[in-house]
Amino acid sequence: MDERLRRLRAANRISAPTVIKALLPTMVVQRGDRLLGRDAALTAGFGPSVTGQSLAVLGVDRGADLAARRAKNGGALTVPGYRTALRVVEHAQKFNLPVVSLINMPGADASPTSERFGQSQAIADLMAATGQLTVPNVVVFLGEGHSGGALAFANANRIIMLDDALFNVASPEAVAAILHGQQTVSAAIDLLPMTAAKLANRGLVDQVIKHQATDLVATLVTAITAQLATLERMGASALIEQRKAKFQQLLATWPVN
Amino acid sequence: MSHYPEPGTWTTCVACGRHVHHSQWGPLRQCPYCKHWQRLTAQRRLDQLVDPGSFHALPMPERPVNELHFPGYDQKLARAAQRTTSSEAVVIGTATVRHHPAVFAVMDSYFMMGTLNTAVTRRIVTASRVARKRHLPLIIVTASGGARMQEGVYALVGMNLILAEFARLAAVPVPLITVLTDPTMGGISASFAFRGDVVVAEAGAKIGFAGARVIQQTMPVDLPADFQTAASLLDHGMLDAVVERPRLRAYLANVLAAYHLEGDVNHG
Repeated sequence: MDERLRRLRAANRISAPTVIKALLPTMVVQRGDRLLGRDAALTAGFGPSVTGQSLAVLGVDRGADLAARRAKNGGALTVPGYRTALRVVEHAQKFNLPVVSLINMPGADASPTSERFGQSQAIADLMAATGQLTVPNVVVFLGEGHSGGALAFANANRIIMLDDALFNVASPEAVAAILHGQQTVSAAIDLLPMTAAKLANRGLVDQVIKHQATDLVATLVTAITAQLATLERMGASALIEQRKAKFQQLLATWPVN
Repeated sequence: MSHYPEPGTWTTCVACGRHVHHSQWGPLRQCPYCKHWQRLTAQRRLDQLVDPGSFHALPMPERPVNELHFPGYDQKLARAAQRTTSSEAVVIGTATVRHHPAVFAVMDSYFMMGTLNTAVTRRIVTASRVARKRHLPLIIVTASGGARMQEGVYALVGMNLILAEFARLAAVPVPLITVLTDPTMGGISASFAFRGDVVVAEAGAKIGFAGARVIQQTMPVDLPADFQTAASLLDHGMLDAVVERPRLRAYLANVLAAYHLEGDVNHG
């Protein structure tokens, strides 16, 4: 496997639960979608942050060992995961809590069960809800995030990425596949802007953090808190507009012929 | 004179493999042997759905650009332009259906499998704004494999930008009617396809997120024969109705009549 991808998918990669533990030490955990079940890949809840501000968090990770990987489906969120996340953001909105998402997830859960229970609808509903949040939201790409599932979390006022993280319409493997093997997966990473540096250059990513930073967890907690501080004076409609304008500006840089 | 028939005279039915003469497909494009509904270009779909002469295209200036210099994309765009009269994977405009006015966005699977890119996003957003300003229902006919990978994250953000526009439509409220046709997959089904106030599918359509081939590459499972079909989605509570192609126009007219909006095709 490509060295960059191996690092993002490694068992010892910094994970959402690690950051969440530092950010919200006394978090009230929220589990389950009240309908289908629960998704172990999602770590979610709310509580006071280390700086005293109350927050809601959503984390998606792949699992640090084989048992966890199996339980978490390798980070490929399932329908209950998206539906639980929707419940968490609705709750956050009700109590005026900013939402912080931390993700490292592969593309879709390609399974008959996810199709049967409406994976499409679950992603769409979460994406629609995050876009219209009247509270600030920030997403942190700790590893990979591709396709609609990642965008449902990344429909945010601020996007932070680790410098080696990736965000794209599809995984590098899927990009290589449409070229019928003419390009390697490693080459596919460079065919489209999906690295933190390239996406920051194009104005989509607001902050890039070195994955080798000393005390990365503390650095991330500080960065999240600082980004939220820049949003705290914004009203509900300003937050919705800012979120939309951010993505519109990206689209506007694509030339019209 | 050539001994060969004009190109387009004979087509192979993708479902049964029989060779079908162009006169045998009929106006609704159905295979005379196996009754399979052929996928339609946006133009053919409009011809079937709207009152003759009522369609007025909205401005669609954007031509696709290979801004990221993705390998092979220019050639794919050139081939797409030969397969359909649509200049991108969606056509937008106003029309009436049995005298009920509406704004239409009709996707075209003959143009790069109807994939969502920057131009498609702009067009659907434009259609939605026109629907909102003129207080006319928005009807989206989906026919798409998902987001267009060749435009990377620029294609991806079309999903949330369209949803943001539809939130404004809902706030009015203006009805959004989604008509899911073959295929409706990936980023289309995971963004706006199921967000319609009324969601209807054409009989025979394949609808889902991850396709059968991708699923079987991931896990060796036998998928049921009706996997991701309109009929099975109806049974599972995902759709309001499955309608045969000849009945679709009447179905839409009935939905439009039920909303009885007082919008105007020409003003606003």
